[in-house]
Amino acid sequence: MSAPTTVAGPAPASARGSRRAAGVQLRGLVPLGVLILLCAVISVMAPEFSSLGNLRRLLSAAAIPMVLACGMTFVILLGSIDLSVEGVIAVGAVILSLLVANGVNQNDFGLVAVPLAILAGAALGLVNGLIHVHLRIPSLIASLGVGFAGIGVATLILGGSAVPVTDPLVQSIAFQRLLGLPGIVWIAAAAVGIAWLIQEYTRLGRWTYALGGGEDICRLSGIPIGRVRVGVFTLAGTFYGLAGALCVAQFGEGQALIGQGFLFTVITAVVVGGTSLAGGVGGILNSVIGVLVVTVLSNGMVLMGVPPEYQQGVQGLLIIAAIALSLDRKRTRFVK
Amino acid sequence: MERTVFAPGRRSILRGAGALGLAAALPPLGSARAADKTQLAISLRSLTNPYHAKFAQGGKNFAAAAGLPIEVLVTEGNSEKGIQDVSALLNRTGGNMCLCIDPNDSPDAAVIVKACAAASAYVVTIWNKPADLHPWDYNPNYVAHIIPGDGVTYGKLMAETLFESMGGEGGIVTLGGIFSNVPAIERRAGLMQAVEASNGKVKILDFQVADWLLPKALTITQAWITRFGDKIKGIWAANDEMALGAVQALRQEGLAGKIPVTGIDGTPPAIAAVKAGTMVGTVDWDPLWVGGMGLSICYNAKIGKIDDAKEPHLHREFYGTGVPVTRKNINEYLAASAHPKPIDYNDFWGRVKGQIRYS
Repeated sequence: MSAPTTVAGPAPASARGSRRAAGVQLRGLVPLGVLILLCAVISVMAPEFSSLGNLRRLLSAAAIPMVLACGMTFVILLGSIDLSVEGVIAVGAVILSLLVANGVNQNDFGLVAVPLAILAGAALGLVNGLIHVHLRIPSLIASLGVGFAGIGVATLILGGSAVPVTDPLVQSIAFQRLLGLPGIVWIAAAAVGIAWLIQEYTRLGRWTYALGGGEDICRLSGIPIGRVRVGVFTLAGTFYGLAGALCVAQFGEGQALIGQGFLFTVITAVVVGGTSLAGGVGGILNSVIGVLVVTVLSNGMVLMGVPPEYQQGVQGLLIIAAIALSLDRKRTRFVK
Repeated sequence: MERTVFAPGRRSILRGAGALGLAAALPPLGSARAADKTQLAISLRSLTNPYHAKFAQGGKNFAAAAGLPIEVLVTEGNSEKGIQDVSALLNRTGGNMCLCIDPNDSPDAAVIVKACAAASAYVVTIWNKPADLHPWDYNPNYVAHIIPGDGVTYGKLMAETLFESMGGEGGIVTLGGIFSNVPAIERRAGLMQAVEASNGKVKILDFQVADWLLPKALTITQAWITRFGDKIKGIWAANDEMALGAVQALRQEGLAGKIPVTGIDGTPPAIAAVKAGTMVGTVDWDPLWVGGMGLSICYNAKIGKIDDAKEPHLHREFYGTGVPVTRKNINEYLAASAHPKPIDYNDFWGRVKGQIRYS
């Protein structure tokens, strides 16, 4: 079932089309190739890369970007963009950190607070979608605004402070190991599974592809475009809310800027994975590869001893290379 | 179709939102009378971080003690907005104003100081200003420039604290702030001085830049654990957020508290970590003091209690005193901060720790 999602839309049925389809199929595998190549190069230069301990650390570092990518992939498949990530994380993280045992107030609601953080994320996603669809504001601006508002709300709640979390249960989400892997990795894996099921087996998932492929045709065939869009942004917000909760577990504190830096990591990961910013092409499994590429790269550069002065440049070049390899330029008439 | 259905609703919503925005933009009615009382103002980047939130609180505390109106101006990282807000307030008060500003960027300080001097208002700058702009160039309006703590001194002090808890020798890994930031450069210079002073007993295994951010510091530290394993005897970080990221990476390996970590800034989670033993030191800049005394010095120059033109350069451009918080003094520190001593707003130069150097 995974193959169709890595292929660019429905394969053309004509005879000439089949060769192109094969090319597209191959190109869909490029991100995976990039990941394997990257791992091979790093393993040669820094053998400790492939140690079990490092793989565990890699997966735990990939967990939060992975959960974020679950949400972002749907939005990008629509051909939209969601810049509210860091704001939604902030709200989710601040709510959770203030409700569990912490260093600021007397609350101690335990893990019951986690669903609340996720719900808050979903609510912000819903607002995002409603503003985008009903006020007809491009998703870029609508989500930017919601993101700022999220950070603003988190700042208001905390008055700019940071909340150290002392609840051992919350911390154990990140640290308790099951079959050798920390809990946060299993949660991220479950999130990927759920996202994949939504993508493959629900109307929301299938319509997302359809909308990304061409909205006019969808409108003519009676797909409730507005509802699908609102649904996708709500779904994305739900995943960001979960990521906010995971941030509290992983980082041991809640504060308004806790999500700083994740927005561009996740957009990069989704695009490097092969999901097109134009919409309709790619999917969750692509994003899994993309997140791994980005995580392996930053881990590998420290392992190989790349001086920090060069790291950002290397990262930029490799991202461009990965995308250049996976783009099908024959199908792209205009580059906006 | 949808368009016609939604247009009226959309327009009225927008109108409502516009009205709300306008209401928020209007100055509160009370401040219209500010012209007879000197208006105090604090300008800062953002209230999203503990440091600036306390800095603003410090200003408000002084205003309450002096019985004067105060406004907190937030630039949101936008220099243009920072400059416009100050100009607007200068216009409204006719220059009867004292400003304590942490400029968004060094060049902003020059523009704002000139605007204040032109309006005969008084100004004190904190942290950022161009090296060739000096308070004595704009007597008496540009009263002073304060850097709450000398990065070299405290970067070195934290390195020494770290070495001490490592038993004086071994390999360390070090986390730096954004490359071009002055505090990042200074704090690292202090670290290097301490490493040199150890006569080769302490070795830096690696230096990485985590942009002041916790998540980035966490993943870098994870990679270090893979690369260096138990060769790591200590972790020095240029700020608390990065130090806490390192602590979380250690915690995942069951090493938190076993490998000492130091930070700088004195944020609440870092103080809690020092108490818990997962960090061995940080430096509290005491932003309450910075915000309060910045305004106090400025206001006292305006009312003539300080004749700033006659003060020595040491009192016009100075480093303040940070409060080191370590495993040794954490309990006293916590007891003291639970019952803070009121700040003596007339002790202008009590915490002067030397004149600012330019490299």
